[in-house]
Amino acid sequence: MIDKVKKELDIRFPLLKLVREQHNYLHVKVAKASVVDAVLMARTCLGFTTLQLISTVDRLEDDVFQMTWILENQGACFVLLISADYPRENCIVPSLSQMWPTASTFEREIFEMFGISFPGNPREGEDFLLEGWKDMPPMRRDFETEEYSMRVFGERQPREHLDPRQYVGDIVGEWNTPMGRKRKEDK
Amino acid sequence: MYCNQRPEKPGNKKEFLKKITNMARANSLWVTAYGTGCGAIELRPLYTSRFDMERFGIAMRPTPRQADVLIISGYLATKTLKRVIRVYEQIQDPKYIIALGSCTINGGMYFDSYNTLNVLDKYLPVDVYVMGCMPRPEAVIDGFSLLMQKIKDGRAQGWKHYKENLDYYRENQKKIITDWDLPDYNW
Amino acid sequence: MLTNFTSIALTIVGALAWGLLLGGISRSVTARVHGRIGPRVTQNFIDIWKLFRKTSSIHHGGMFWMAPMFRITGAICVLLMVPLVIGQNITCNMSFAGDVFLLIYIMFFGCLGMALGAGNSGHPYAVIAVSRGLAQMSAYELSFSIAVVAIAVGLHTFRVEGIVAAQQAGITSWNIFRFPFASAGMLIAFLPMQMAYPFGIVLAPQEIPIGPPTEYSSRMLSFMFSGRALFGVAKLLLFVGLLFGGASSWLSLLVKTFLLYMYPVVVSSVFPRFRTEQSIRFLWFVPTTLALVDLVRVML
Repeated sequence: MIDKVKKELDIRFPLLKLVREQHNYLHVKVAKASVVDAVLMARTCLGFTTLQLISTVDRLEDDVFQMTWILENQGACFVLLISADYPRENCIVPSLSQMWPTASTFEREIFEMFGISFPGNPREGEDFLLEGWKDMPPMRRDFETEEYSMRVFGERQPREHLDPRQYVGDIVGEWNTPMGRKRKEDK
Repeated sequence: MYCNQRPEKPGNKKEFLKKITNMARANSLWVTAYGTGCGAIELRPLYTSRFDMERFGIAMRPTPRQADVLIISGYLATKTLKRVIRVYEQIQDPKYIIALGSCTINGGMYFDSYNTLNVLDKYLPVDVYVMGCMPRPEAVIDGFSLLMQKIKDGRAQGWKHYKENLDYYRENQKKIITDWDLPDYNW
Repeated sequence: MLTNFTSIALTIVGALAWGLLLGGISRSVTARVHGRIGPRVTQNFIDIWKLFRKTSSIHHGGMFWMAPMFRITGAICVLLMVPLVIGQNITCNMSFAGDVFLLIYIMFFGCLGMALGAGNSGHPYAVIAVSRGLAQMSAYELSFSIAVVAIAVGLHTFRVEGIVAAQQAGITSWNIFRFPFASAGMLIAFLPMQMAYPFGIVLAPQEIPIGPPTEYSSRMLSFMFSGRALFGVAKLLLFVGLLFGGASSWLSLLVKTFLLYMYPVVVSSVFPRFRTEQSIRFLWFVPTTLALVDLVRVML
């Protein structure tokens, strides 16, 4: 199965990058222009008829959102992950809700949590988890969650933050370095 | 009569057979079957043979109309708070709130969450806090016995406090529930 | 007149206390079957007093308020027509020729009142439960009525006191031995009357939590519980009178009603619940056929 999938994808998408592979699992990265083609091809030609999840990772350092569509071929017990990077500013991603109705729900959640817009999703903008949210989408990494929590919910007493290294002492340092014990003996 | 009118402030009226009534109230606490967080799982053992709550006269009621106690079991999201307010205000007086877990006291492990409120008694009058994360059933029974003692002494007056300081509670509630679509008075 | 009034009041209060106590005992028994300790025996008294002292601000229309009163009224009517103990003045509260038929009708008066009130509350669960309850009622009412008619025809009297008086010649003259099939039908119909499992489709806590009284609260609910306790005792008295030879002393009255009350409690704590259509199908066929066998035997 894995060879067949790799061959088929290689022929059609020359810019494809292999991220990780296992005996029942393949993660590829494609250019953002050819994502819909790749997903369609996987669905129609390779039998990946189940959309398990649409996931988003906020890569603040690279200034991109990495979108991943997780597809499954249940007959062959094979999972295919197709990823693509999208710029963070005014991020627009094509919607797959015409192919899989479930995608509509995932896309609503991603819109709410990351502010990524999916043109073509019929239910975009409906409240999903957050009702009446007015701030920055909370799962973006530049969202200051502790500051927001203090500002909105407040706390009985401000909490003390203790550095575990100071609090517990040297034991933590020993545990944290892989060769800590050995190094101490060297000294 | 309800949903459009401010509740009357309960004065310190003289009650007929007050002591006996308080004893009856303490020995027949009916709980609304409504779980808000992870603590709802911890409540289940209380009703089975090991910790049997019915021997104290505590029973589950499926509707807030017939209940006396509302248990806030664990973390409370802002979305759930809206429902909790609605449920709490539909319970007939006198009514009590038991808050379980450190999440209701100061946010617990969700203290920096964008969606979980930190201090419960800004929004609802809490009669008894049970600490722990999560409290074991023994701790919950201890909380119940504390509430019973408070009711017997006539000190469990959270519902009166709520009615008298409704403006304060409403202001706090509306601060975090940005799309307030409840009727202002749910009695 | 005064003694009559006193006896009526005493009957009602006594029946209420006995019904609530029986309810508490049944809760204990169920808890023991579950392996729990269970509540106090007096728990129902505490519950009722607490509910009575709660405030109430719920209003769903006139019928909603009247339903618990209907239930209590029906229960008291049944209670006053059934003889308690044979040969005592206090027991002959009301009795007249043909009261068996009135009893058959008035027993379902309370249920109908509840149906109207619960329907008026507008809660969907209440409405579902009411439709189930009425369907089930029409099923067990048939077998119950046929069985009562069979007994009445067989004994040539339409008066409850007459039926009781005809069973005083020892245990073998009890109707449960003289009319075994009709008695079996009545005892099966007794289970859904007490809302016992496997026929407890009205309160069905797993699907339509507690059903009709969903919207009832505080004082209304306490009236409803009292009504249920009274009605339970009235039904017990009726069954003891019709099948088990009435009671010749207060002690035998208590023992007989207690044992009869324990029968649905024990049955319901070991059985799972029927679905609606299973319950109604069973009640249409089995107890009705049993009752008809005795009716035909009596007619021939």
